[in-house]
Amino acid sequence: MLHFYIFLPFLAALLIGISAKRVSRIHTGWFVLPVPVVLFILFSTKMPILAEGKIVQSVANWIPSLDIQLSFYLDGLSMLFSLLITGIGSLVVLYSIFYLSKKEQLVHFYVYLLIFMGSMLGVVLSDNVFVLYTFWEFTSISSFLLIGFWFYREKSTYGAQKSMLVTVFGGLSMLGALILLSITAETNSIRTMIANRSEIIESNLFIPILILLLLGAFTKSAQFPFHSWLPDAMEAPTPVSAYLHSATMVKAGIYLVARFSLIFSGSDEFFIIVSGIGLITLCIGSFLASRQTDLKGILAYSTISQLGMIMTMLGFGTGAAALAAIFHIFNHATFKGSLFMIAGIVDHETGTRDIRRLGGLYTFMPISATLAFFGAFSMAGIPLPIFNGFLSKEMFFDSSLKLEQTSGFAGLFAEWAPILAVIGSIFTFVYSMYLVFGTFTGKAKLGQLEKKPHEAPIGMLISPIILIVFVVLVGLLPNLINEPLLAPAVASITGDFAITHLAFWHGFNTPLYMSLIVVVIGTILAFTLKKWQPIYNAIPGKFSSDYWYQSLINGLLKFSSVFTKSYMTGSLRLYTSIILVFLTASTSIFIYVTDGFKISFDDLAPVTWPEVLVGFVMAVAAIATIWMTQRIAAIIVIGVVGYGLSLLFVFFRAPDLALTQLIVETITVALFLLCFTHLPKLKKSDKKSSEKLVDFVIAASTGALLTIVAISSHSSKYFDSIAKYFVDNSYELGGGDNIVNVILVDFRGLDTLFEIAVLGLAALGIFAMIKYRDKGDMNH
Amino acid sequence: MEIVMSILAGTLFAAGVYLLLQKQLLKIVLGTALLSHGAHLFILTMGKLNRGAPPILEKGIKIYTDPLPQALILTSIVISFGVTSFLLVLAYRTYQSNKTDMMDQLRGTDDE
Amino acid sequence: MFFNKKQKLTLNLSLFTVFLNLGVAIFLSYYVFANGPLILETGAWKAPYGIILVADQLSVIMILAVNVIAISAVIFAASSVTSNMTQHYFYPLFFLLIAGVSGAFLTGDLFNLFVFFEVLLMASYGLIIIGGSKHQFRESVKYILLNLFSSILFVTTVAFLYSVTGTVNMAQLGERVAEVEQRGILTAIAILLFIVFATKGALFPLYFWLPKSYIVPAPVVSALFGALLTKVGVYSMLRVYTLIFSHKLELTHTFFIWVATITMLIGVIGALSTSNVKLIIAYNIMPAIGFMVLGIGTFSAESLAGTIYYLVHDMAIKAALFFLAGLLVWHSGTSDLNKMGGYIKTAPLMGWMFFIASLVLAGIPPFSGFIGKYLLLRGAMDEEHYWAAGVGLLSSLLILFSVIRIFIGAFWGELKEEPKEKVRRSGLAASAVLIAITIILGVGAEWFYPYIQSTADSLIDPEIYIDYVLKE
Repeated sequence: MLHFYIFLPFLAALLIGISAKRVSRIHTGWFVLPVPVVLFILFSTKMPILAEGKIVQSVANWIPSLDIQLSFYLDGLSMLFSLLITGIGSLVVLYSIFYLSKKEQLVHFYVYLLIFMGSMLGVVLSDNVFVLYTFWEFTSISSFLLIGFWFYREKSTYGAQKSMLVTVFGGLSMLGALILLSITAETNSIRTMIANRSEIIESNLFIPILILLLLGAFTKSAQFPFHSWLPDAMEAPTPVSAYLHSATMVKAGIYLVARFSLIFSGSDEFFIIVSGIGLITLCIGSFLASRQTDLKGILAYSTISQLGMIMTMLGFGTGAAALAAIFHIFNHATFKGSLFMIAGIVDHETGTRDIRRLGGLYTFMPISATLAFFGAFSMAGIPLPIFNGFLSKEMFFDSSLKLEQTSGFAGLFAEWAPILAVIGSIFTFVYSMYLVFGTFTGKAKLGQLEKKPHEAPIGMLISPIILIVFVVLVGLLPNLINEPLLAPAVASITGDFAITHLAFWHGFNTPLYMSLIVVVIGTILAFTLKKWQPIYNAIPGKFSSDYWYQSLINGLLKFSSVFTKSYMTGSLRLYTSIILVFLTASTSIFIYVTDGFKISFDDLAPVTWPEVLVGFVMAVAAIATIWMTQRIAAIIVIGVVGYGLSLLFVFFRAPDLALTQLIVETITVALFLLCFTHLPKLKKSDKKSSEKLVDFVIAASTGALLTIVAISSHSSKYFDSIAKYFVDNSYELGGGDNIVNVILVDFRGLDTLFEIAVLGLAALGIFAMIKYRDKGDMNH
Repeated sequence: MEIVMSILAGTLFAAGVYLLLQKQLLKIVLGTALLSHGAHLFILTMGKLNRGAPPILEKGIKIYTDPLPQALILTSIVISFGVTSFLLVLAYRTYQSNKTDMMDQLRGTDDE
Repeated sequence: MFFNKKQKLTLNLSLFTVFLNLGVAIFLSYYVFANGPLILETGAWKAPYGIILVADQLSVIMILAVNVIAISAVIFAASSVTSNMTQHYFYPLFFLLIAGVSGAFLTGDLFNLFVFFEVLLMASYGLIIIGGSKHQFRESVKYILLNLFSSILFVTTVAFLYSVTGTVNMAQLGERVAEVEQRGILTAIAILLFIVFATKGALFPLYFWLPKSYIVPAPVVSALFGALLTKVGVYSMLRVYTLIFSHKLELTHTFFIWVATITMLIGVIGALSTSNVKLIIAYNIMPAIGFMVLGIGTFSAESLAGTIYYLVHDMAIKAALFFLAGLLVWHSGTSDLNKMGGYIKTAPLMGWMFFIASLVLAGIPPFSGFIGKYLLLRGAMDEEHYWAAGVGLLSSLLILFSVIRIFIGAFWGELKEEPKEKVRRSGLAASAVLIAITIILGVGAEWFYPYIQSTADSLIDPEIYIDYVLKE
């Protein structure tokens, strides 16, 4: 069953890709809408099964021989995410129908969106880690395509490339972690890994696995210092921002951490890294949000900071923190989703998202404004029972006070956690107020707007209204979703199923005081924002993560270029010398290491003078070629070497060779003569003496090396040659007296056949080259 | 003898390599010729030298020199002949079209 | 060759031939996987005395891949090979190249491998200069000289090996080297041979001749080179360092891992160094080779399977990318990425194919690159070569960056200049065939993987091959 759920979006994408262009009168979105709606309903029907503590699963074959199986399972955690994916998905598709005009490339848009939806479902439902990885990368790819939807804008392509590089970087390190996990736990199934977690915990790869896995999670969930791709991803159409870049895809990292919590939580490293990075992200994100001028920019930084908060809670690793995290995942999706949609509405109706040009919109778009206030107050955690955001934030404070880590660095860190939590929340409060008050109250600056603002069409308002209804409803009656949705999800993280009653009022306790501090200081800061905002300009640009990303990319490209051009000079001499140096160095090292050198004087032919004399002349001639400046002289010395060789062949009883060598040498010399008349004269080498020395050293060591290998080879004849067979059978089987000839034409006839082919090819090539000459140059 | 011949072949190789490192195409081509001579001498030396008669069967002779290396050299000679002649013509054509036979002027750039 | 004036006839004849070849290759593979290796004793001389052609599992997989590439090349050639090229013997050289490559994959004799190397190199020398521009002459001189040097080194090394073992038959070499436990000078010879293959296979620091010489010829030739030539080097390593020199793993194969790791990194850095689209693709050959050699170095059944999978995948995707880059350059009239932009409007199909090809190249699942990479990384980590695996992961990211830059730069953005010509249909078709294959290889991995695994198993146990060849 689950397979069908996951592949339905892909199937729909395919169908729409093929057919929708033909029905251009109706907005493509209407064809897409049923997909998430149906899936949402289907998933909802499984809720009773989960409430009993059971899971739904299904397995199909994909690559059984690699144990990469399409095995999916639906437990509490996957259920929460699946409902978010399909639920928010439905609302976003509905919203997009009114947001995107029919002139846009709607088919592309919805195909990418459906691919994303399917992949994201795949991520949260997979049991097999490599299937999870597959879908994971596909969410990155579909996000890339959606950010680059307006591909002709430079900013879009920049954002798309950035998001892809960052998330794929994380994806690959996650792949590394998953392979290590799979090797250590000897399984590819997440559930089996969790069951065998002791093997992983005791493995000495525990820390590398943890770090690599977290890199994947942190990049995807835009945690510090990888957060900077998310603001740039805001170039995507607003429905995409609401969907991928706030409600679902960016929570994949959260999902991953939650999913593997049972394995890792409990270790101090996990606590310090996850909570530490989470808290830093919470503070930096919320602090930077008030600096932004783009509504979506504020929301992006806000998302970063909220994700940091959820990450922190997962890092705490306690049951209460897990519940708070799960609860906040849900709450964040509702209020942030609605805020994004309102931002889109503002953009749509006024033509700008620049908060400096906005203001006083309350009178023009009262419904949107009201919705925005609800969303922002919930995000700020204003202590009223109608805001779900307050409830989860209160639980966050509470859990930060009840950390179990007491010893060492982790203990020290645990003491600081509540303080950081409060600081982060203060700024959250500030930007929430900045966002709504800046946009909707104050004086309207209609002159600066492209259009006269008015309320959005009802179609665009439905989705944010539904989300805000959830904000209030869950704020009032949190236990409504507790038992069916939250408790099973928490059970997947902590391993045991327990229902904690959620309540608004806990009496006057520390968390409440913390909330009050946030509200008080937050209000002061929010009202004095204009006065202290210049602080932001004092922060040097070098501290921003975007600066680092750009420096890294530019540095990488520049380094690549400089480095590569330093050796890819096109100089044959350089290439040859590198090859030769590598050849001599590595081979000599190996001779040394393996003690390969061997010289034996036992089985040698006697040294006779004629041969030595000829050899000496050849050597002298060969070396002499180096200094030849006359073409004809060069050919003569080369000839001496060649004819000397044939003489040696005669001495060494190789008559056939001698003859062939003689003929070939003659033809070669003739060819040389022929060509040399067309080539320029030999010049004296104008090299520096240092270069000459390098050449000499390289040449001498190459020659010496080969001599050494040759002597050693000759001195270690371990076996009889197969040549005896040829001698014995040449006449009887080969029918010839000349053994060499019999070998050539019979025993090793194939060599000869293809040797002739080579000759033919050479002739063909030469003929072709001569043809070019006849026609002159054929430049492109 | 084999050791002497190994040294000789090594010398031929060294001279060939030295030429290969020169700038002028012509010298480089000459270098390849020396290299193949060196290689052939190596092959011959690797069979045993001067053991027995030339590998042409004659009555009464039992011991012959190793015929296999000779066969291999023959194949190799022919192949290097083909390559060398191709290279020569190519050198000529390169000189003709690029108007130089100095390798350091034949580098090229990324953008062509 | 003789019909070089009759364009159409040549093309049809070629198409007929490649499909016929593919048919034979398929039958051969079926036979080999069903009944075991097939041995052709040329001239009916038994191994180790005569030359034998051995179609074992690895060989037939390679042959199959070669023929698929050949088909796509002929399809691509339909619109790109001009009568001028035909008159300079494109088709005969092409078929002899295929013959040389296939021969290299099949032969069971080391010296004969040298001969086939020469055949395919000679054919490539002929192909690289078709077009006759001065860049081509310039780069081909370097290409030929360095290959010539490595060929000379190759025969010399074969001679050394013959001296020590008294044979040139690969199976017997395997047997004899095993018998003396790769003693003495044999390991040094193994390294010499590695350098020969590494020069053909383009490993660091021996590949410098490659990138520029691969971009000067016509796109169809570039694609053939990129898909086939370096892979022959890898195949030879795969054969020789499993069958013959696998007794000093801690020395030789550790060395391979080092070289492979550096190759991956330096190669992909090269791919980021330029804005010439063809050159970017050419540089991407190196990291792929690094991956494959990493598998050989790791030397486990898993990693060898990874190498084979990657080998096949890389043949297809490299050819496809060279095709697409060629089409793109024709379309835009420039190879400089900075001068391109917005072609998704004028050539959407090409753009999306390029996008998918980029993902395939970077090893994004579920495409073919992932399966190979997964096996290689897993194998490396299993044997505790963590650094190599880490570099592999990093270079995958950079590979993706290098090609997605082309996609973003050439296809996204504003249309800067009107395209010079329409995208050539048959070129797109050829690329589509190859991309479809990479998708099938990935998504349908289960159909192929068991064969690849059994091939890898047979490599890790050279006895099987040796027994089959020698003791029949």
